[in-house]
Amino acid sequence: MFPLARFRVEDQSMEPTLRSGDYVLVNRWAYRSHLPAVGDIVVLRDPEATGQFLVKRIMSSDATAGFFVLGDNMAHSRDSRHFGMVPRHLLIGKVRYHANP
Amino acid sequence: MSLAHKLLRALDRVHPAPVAYAHCDIPCGIYDPHHAQLAAHTVIRMVELTGQLEHPGPNATLAQKEEFHAKLARYIATKEQHAEIYKQEIRILYGDYFKPEHLQQVPTLHDTVWKALKAGSKGRQEINLAAAEDMLKLANEIAEAFWKTKGIATFKAKAPYPTARETVYPKLG
Repeated sequence: MFPLARFRVEDQSMEPTLRSGDYVLVNRWAYRSHLPAVGDIVVLRDPEATGQFLVKRIMSSDATAGFFVLGDNMAHSRDSRHFGMVPRHLLIGKVRYHANP
Repeated sequence: MSLAHKLLRALDRVHPAPVAYAHCDIPCGIYDPHHAQLAAHTVIRMVELTGQLEHPGPNATLAQKEEFHAKLARYIATKEQHAEIYKQEIRILYGDYFKPEHLQQVPTLHDTVWKALKAGSKGRQEINLAAAEDMLKLANEIAEAFWKTKGIATFKAKAPYPTARETVYPKLG
């Protein structure tokens, strides 16, 4: 599996960091050698619709429960406040590079 | 960054990248301009009914006078209530549905919404057919904008209500 994956960002929950239409490159191997860290922006599978991807920021981690993720734009974000802790296996990888228009 | 974005966008055309949603409001996505259009029709109808109401003459009985006042009060109350529904529905579309990128498709949106809210206030305050018709005209413009951003074509038809004014509908199915 090639480590880098491309994603196109849609919607507003990560504003002002990421905007709709931006591209991100995700390192899918980032968490092979070390654990996801608080502050990382990650692409994850939507816990409520695993065929769909979300981009959020890790706010806290707990070895047993998983990761608490939030959108940077908290007024407009569906995130762990709504779907709870995200288990490790739903994390795709860490956002390493971001391109805006 | 801009060059990288151009390259990635070009690559996207050949091999589309999956979308990572930065999702917004919780259920997201149940919007329809029809409520605003319907409320405008109700306001028009109430103005028409008020105009058609026969004024009881000096020799009318008490019962006739009471009936007149009861009907008048009901028409006006309903008109005001639906003018308020109209404003509320437009505020929801404007505040929750329309996104900054929609402005590229509908550059006149801010102005249309501003006029629609002003027409809603006038339609609520006055018994004024022109203001009520303006409400519908502007709700139709907002409906056209809404369906345009959804990529759904629209058509105009006379509404199947007593008001029978031209109304914008989506071409679904």
